[in-house]
Amino acid sequence: MKQGRNRAVIPVTPRGFKDVLPGEARWRESIISKTRKTLALWGYAPIETPTLEVLEVLEQGGTLTSTPFRLFDTDNELLVLRPDVTLQVARMAASRLKKEDLPLRLRYVERIYREEESQRGLSRQLTQIGVEAIGFSGMYADAEMVLLLVDTLRAAGLTDFTIALGTVGVLRELLELCVESKAVDEAWSAELIKAFHAGNYVAIEQLTNAPGLDARYVEILRVLPTISGKSEAVERVRKMVAPLGIVNGLEQLYDTYTIIEGAGLAPQVNIDFSVVSAFDYYTGLVIEAYAPGLGKALGSGGRYDRMLEGFGISAPAAGFAVSLESIMQALLNEDAAEQQEDTSDTLTVTISDGNPAEAFIKAKYLRSQGKVVTLEPENGTRHERRPLLLPMRRFSNE
Amino acid sequence: MSNTNENPQMNNTTEDPQINKTEGSPHMNKLVGSPLMKKIGKGPQVKKPRPLKIAVPKGALFADSVRLLTLAGLDTTGLDDPGRQLIIETEDCRFFIVRPTDVPIFASLGGVDCAICGHDSLAEQELDMVEMVDLKFGACRFIVAEPKDASNKAEDRYQRRGVMRVATKYPTITQAYYDSKGIQVEIVKLHGNIELAPFCGLADRVVDITATGETLRENNLVIVDEVLESTARFVGNTASVRTDARIRALAERLASLV
Repeated sequence: MKQGRNRAVIPVTPRGFKDVLPGEARWRESIISKTRKTLALWGYAPIETPTLEVLEVLEQGGTLTSTPFRLFDTDNELLVLRPDVTLQVARMAASRLKKEDLPLRLRYVERIYREEESQRGLSRQLTQIGVEAIGFSGMYADAEMVLLLVDTLRAAGLTDFTIALGTVGVLRELLELCVESKAVDEAWSAELIKAFHAGNYVAIEQLTNAPGLDARYVEILRVLPTISGKSEAVERVRKMVAPLGIVNGLEQLYDTYTIIEGAGLAPQVNIDFSVVSAFDYYTGLVIEAYAPGLGKALGSGGRYDRMLEGFGISAPAAGFAVSLESIMQALLNEDAAEQQEDTSDTLTVTISDGNPAEAFIKAKYLRSQGKVVTLEPENGTRHERRPLLLPMRRFSNE
Repeated sequence: MSNTNENPQMNNTTEDPQINKTEGSPHMNKLVGSPLMKKIGKGPQVKKPRPLKIAVPKGALFADSVRLLTLAGLDTTGLDDPGRQLIIETEDCRFFIVRPTDVPIFASLGGVDCAICGHDSLAEQELDMVEMVDLKFGACRFIVAEPKDASNKAEDRYQRRGVMRVATKYPTITQAYYDSKGIQVEIVKLHGNIELAPFCGLADRVVDITATGETLRENNLVIVDEVLESTARFVGNTASVRTDARIRALAERLASLV
């Protein structure tokens, strides 16, 4: 990098970060306030989490996959910019909220930071709107997550979206059986989970070629990620794995789906056994939300009943988070983006040099009537923007 | 485009795509994807699903890709001889002709619903998507090669310098390979004609792709190790695979053909 004395530094934001200007900010505010209202109506209480966490503490709850921003503070503590709010809430629930009655229903709107490679059109800062439900489990709790997710997306203004439900229980149990059969080891099992996460069916096929592996396991491992549909998809998997004694999660998924069907949401909600989250902390239900034209899920979540154990207490938990930026992209795709102009009428009150206080009093009265008021001096002393001809010293490397 | 509610219908169309196959006039084909048609398509009475967006890699994999998609029952009229056209519209599909190394980013970001792509590009870019079927064609190998008359020179230099210098078009794969071997490397990324690098002192060895080994022989290079094997794959955008049943159906038909 050349660093000339008089060289101007171009005033840019870091890669993957951006400014939010008033038009967009108003739109963001409006979506956030609508979704907040819905979450509040379901009885979820607001919380805020710190931007920085001690890495070692956060890792007690689960593996952190993408933490690009790490730093040491003056106490020599290794800190991380939050890559995920769920782990923070688990930490909070296990320490600060110990004495609160369960279940706890919590909601948040927070920025999170993730690594994305350069030049792939992706942001490294996202805004998550999310919930955590701690201390209740079973099909009612799972159904609440799904129905609340649907309500949240609808509150944001989306009409065209699909929710995919899966369960990680079947895969976990199946892999345990494979390892117990001694044909394969733990490392193989980790590789296979990785292939499932990555959606790499070819790798699954290659891995299941391992010599000595029971043909029944091979068959199921290969077919599982291709199974999707409505409740009959759960039946299909149940028939397949029942002879092996695997029952984990299927009954509950079926019951949860029955409730969702009963609530009239079957057209928007699918069962999909290829859904395995990138986070290793999930123990049962996994949820992903998709909208047409968005290559990635716009929201995801599930059940993580063992996460709090890492922080020293035992309580079931579930939750989800949706990305505000993805919702906005989906709304644009639906042509449902809100008018970004400020439509409220702005009144202007002129300040007279003779009695300036009068204008401020008048403006205060108008504001109390709900009007938007700005003040302008009598003689109009507006500043013009002038580009500087000399190198911009302010931004130079001096 | 309320495709969520139309999934069952999509399923039906994919089971026997020939039913929908018509010799649409070019004019009609243009109309299918036009904004006007999309607007009309929003009405609840119109059941026709939006065209499936498929990326086809140009170059070595192109002919076999088109052949396989045709065998799978897709209407590929116009795709076999596209001329300079990059987008080919048929009744149910919109084909995009894409540079092979760009296919993964198209599929990953949802620019297309599904695609045919070499495993080499996928392994190099490590992007999010569903790798569904090994199509078995387009086989090639990643190899490590060095000049024929310079055997052991690279090893010797590595002993002295403590680092191997390797030229390649595939830095991620190369780094992963040498990491697994415990060898420190300096990678020189080139965009083509990798074979030149060892002959002008740019690198000790090269990591490159070869199908027959012909180019290597002609350029006086010998293979010293195998890195990985690659074939063409059928891949899908994660969101599309989970919301559009046509992609899984197509994957099943392709799997039955190879």
